[in-house]
Amino acid sequence: MKIRRAAAGASIAALLPFAGVALAQSAGSSDANSDLRREIEDQRQRLAVLERKLEISDEAAKAAAASAPKVTASASRFQIGSADGANFVRLRGTLFADIRAFGGDSAPETADTFLLRSARPTIEGTFGNIYDFRITPDFGSGRSTIVDAYAAARFRPGLVVTVGKFKPSVGLERLASEPDLRFMERGLPTLLVPNRDLGVQLSGEFAGGAFAYQVGYFNGVTDGQSSDNLATPDVESDTGGDYAARVFFQPFINSDNFGLRGLGFGVGSTWQALDGAATNPYLPGYRSQGQLSVFSYRANTATGATPNNATFSNGERLRLAPQLYYYRGSFGFLGEYTQVKQDVSRTLGAVTLSDTLTNSAWQGQFSWFITGEEESFRGFTPQTTFQPGKSGSGAWELVARVQQLDVDDAAFAGGANSFANPLTAVSKVTAYGVGVNWYPWNTVKFSLNYDLSSSEGGVATGDRADERALFGRFAINY
Amino acid sequence: MSQTVWKRRLLLALTAAVFVGGAGAEAAKTVEVTLLNVSYDPTRELYVDFNKAFAEYWKKKTGDTVKINQSHGGSGRQARSVIDGLSADVVTLALAADVDAIATQGKLLPVNWEERLPDHSAPYTSTIVFLVRKGNPKGIKDWGDLARPGVSVITPNPKTSGGARWNYLAAWAWAKKQPGGSDKTAREFITRLYKNVPVLDTGARGSTTTFAQRGIGDVAISWENEAWLATRELGPDKFEIVIPTISILAEPSVAVVDKVVLRRGTRTVAEEYLKYLYTPEGQEIAARNYYRPRNAEVAARHAELFPKLEFVTIKDFGGWAKAQKEHFGDGGVFDKIYAE
Repeated sequence: MKIRRAAAGASIAALLPFAGVALAQSAGSSDANSDLRREIEDQRQRLAVLERKLEISDEAAKAAAASAPKVTASASRFQIGSADGANFVRLRGTLFADIRAFGGDSAPETADTFLLRSARPTIEGTFGNIYDFRITPDFGSGRSTIVDAYAAARFRPGLVVTVGKFKPSVGLERLASEPDLRFMERGLPTLLVPNRDLGVQLSGEFAGGAFAYQVGYFNGVTDGQSSDNLATPDVESDTGGDYAARVFFQPFINSDNFGLRGLGFGVGSTWQALDGAATNPYLPGYRSQGQLSVFSYRANTATGATPNNATFSNGERLRLAPQLYYYRGSFGFLGEYTQVKQDVSRTLGAVTLSDTLTNSAWQGQFSWFITGEEESFRGFTPQTTFQPGKSGSGAWELVARVQQLDVDDAAFAGGANSFANPLTAVSKVTAYGVGVNWYPWNTVKFSLNYDLSSSEGGVATGDRADERALFGRFAINY
Repeated sequence: MSQTVWKRRLLLALTAAVFVGGAGAEAAKTVEVTLLNVSYDPTRELYVDFNKAFAEYWKKKTGDTVKINQSHGGSGRQARSVIDGLSADVVTLALAADVDAIATQGKLLPVNWEERLPDHSAPYTSTIVFLVRKGNPKGIKDWGDLARPGVSVITPNPKTSGGARWNYLAAWAWAKKQPGGSDKTAREFITRLYKNVPVLDTGARGSTTTFAQRGIGDVAISWENEAWLATRELGPDKFEIVIPTISILAEPSVAVVDKVVLRRGTRTVAEEYLKYLYTPEGQEIAARNYYRPRNAEVAARHAELFPKLEFVTIKDFGGWAKAQKEHFGDGGVFDKIYAE
C-alpha cells in the first residue's frame, strides 16, 4: 500500500517542477497563473482522493479481518469460530493402536494381540461463551458407542450445570483425559469408580480454582463400568441412582510459592441404595493391569426350579475416594485410594445370605520428564519436536507405578456358599509398572509399559500366576 | 420412603436448581455491570457525555457500578456486526431500518421494538445540512448546487452508513419537490449528484475526516450534529454550515437487544440506560451535542442551534422497509445509479 501511495505522490511531484517552470514563464499573466493554480489544486485533490481511497480500503480490510470467522488449523487444534471467540466448533479425536504381549502362563496365547484400543472422533463447541457441548463416539475395541454426549452451561465459575453422558466426578485418574494419562491403562483404583454415566451435575470453582466442587445425580453404574455396558446400553435398568459428590482443593494454585503450587487433594464419593435381584446382579467384575478378568462374583448355577443363586447387589453401595496429586517442575505424583462398601446377597434354596463387602484399591504413580517439560494433571507442551533430519528429540518421560486391589476376604468365606469363588476369583492383586512415553509431536505419543502383577488366589492350585504384560501404543491425540 | 420416591424428588430438586441457578446468575451480577452500546459513527461524543451521566445516576440510584463500552461505525455495518454476534446490550443506530434488520435477520429482539419506548424509540432527532469551506467559495446554497459540474461532494456510502441514507433521501425529496419533479427527475438529479462524489466513506465520521482533515471536496452532506461538531472542533474559521431549503427529519433509533441482555443478565440496567435518554438530563446532553431533543423545554433552551426548515420524513417514502428495498437494497436505485 505504501508503494502505491509513493507512486501516486511521485506522479504529483513530477508535475510540480513543470508547474513551477510554467509559473516562471507566465509571471506576467494573472490568468495563466490562475489556471495553473487551479491545475495544481486539481492535482492535489486527485492525490488526496487517491490517498483517502487507499485509507478507506485499508480500514475496510482491517474491519473485514476483525469480523471474519476465524479458522484455526494448527498442529494441535482444528476449529472454526466467530471473530470474538464466543462461538466455536472444534474437531478433536484420539486414536490408540496398541500391541499387547504377555510373558509366562498368566494369560492365554490369544491375549497377545494387536488392538484398536480407542478410536474417538470428537466434536465439541461453545455458544455465547457460556453453553458448551461435546459428542464423542468410540469405534475402538470392536464397538460403536457414545462415550461422551453432554451439554453444559457455565453460568459463572462457581455454577456450571452439565447434563447428559459424561464422567461422574469421583476417581482422580478417571477424570484425567485419555491423552493426559501417564500409563496406557488406568490404575486399579479406577476399577472401583464409575466410568461414564447419564445424569446431571452441578459444579464450580472458587478463589481462582483453589476450591472446586461437583455434586450430581446419575442413573448409576457398577464399579468401573459405563452406562453403555448395561444390558440395554445407556438406558436406566433399575430404580436406584448414584448420588455423587467431590471436593478438591488446590490451596496454593494462585500462590507465588512454586514448591506447593502444584499440590491438589480432595475426596470423591457416591452412594446408592438398591433392592436388587439375582436376575440382575448389578455387581462388577475386575480386570488386571493386563486387562484380563481376574475377579467376578458367583454367577447363577441353579437349574430347574431352584432359585437363581447368583450373588447380587442388595442394599447400599458407598464409594469413597480420597485423592492427591503433586506436580513440581518436571516431576509428578498422583496417588489415590478407593474403597467400595457394597451390600450383597445370595439366595441358596430357602436361605438368603447377606453381607457388606469392602473392596479397596490404591495406587501411587510417578512421572518425570527427562527432557525438562513441566508435569501437570492436564496437558503439557513438548519443548522440542522430533522431525527426521532436524534437531529436536520431542519430549521423553519415564513413569512408574505401584498399586494394589484388595477384595474383601468375606467375599470368599463359606466355601461353596461364598459370594465369590476363590478358585476363579483373586482376592488381592499387587502390581508394579514402569514405562516410557515419547512425544515426538504435540499430538503424537508412543508408549511402552511393563507391568508385573502378583495375585492371591484365583486358581485351584492357589495363587494365579504372576502376570507379566508388555504393552505398546501409538497414539494420536488432536 | 422408597428409593424411587427419593429419586424423583432429587431429580425435581436438581431441575429446579438448574433454573434457579440460571436466574441467580443474573441476580448476582448487580455489583458491577458492563454494557456494550453499539452505535453509529457520529455519536461518539454524545455517548461519552451520556454514559458518564448515566453511570453517576445509576450509582446514586442503586449503588451499583455500571461501565458502558462504546462501539461506533457505519450504522448498517454496525447492525451487521450485531447480527453476526457482536454482543450489544443496546443499539443506538442511525435509523430504524438497521434495528429492524437486527430484529428480522438476527432475531435478537422482537419486531415491535419501536413500541417499547416513547417517540417510536427515537429519543432525539437530527437533520441533514451542508458543511462548506469558509467563505463558501463554490456558492453552495441548496441541493441543486450539489449536482453542478465542478462541485465535489462528500457523502458516505448508503450501503454501509445510515447517515448516507438520510442524505440520499433528503436530496431525493428536494428534487421531487422542484417544479415538474417526479421520481424520474429525482433519479436523474441523484445520478448527477453522485457523479460529483469522488470518494465514498463507510460512515459519517469518515466523511467528516475526508472533508475536514484531508481537505477533499467542496461540500460535505452531513448530519447537523456532525457539522456543528466539525465547526466547533476544527475551527469556525475553516468551515460554515449551510441550511438547505428542504431536509429530512432523521430519527436515530435505540433498542435493547433482548437475547444479549437475557444471556448477560443486564436487561434492567440496559432498559434504564435507554429510558434515561428521555429524561430532562438525557435530553439536555443530547442537545449539548447538537442532537434535536424531543423535550420541548430543552429544545427551547437550545433553539438557536436548531433552525427551523421544511422537513420530509421517512413516511414520505412509505417507511423504512419500502425505502430500504427500493433505494438501498441489492439491485436498488442506488446500485443502479452508481453503476452508471
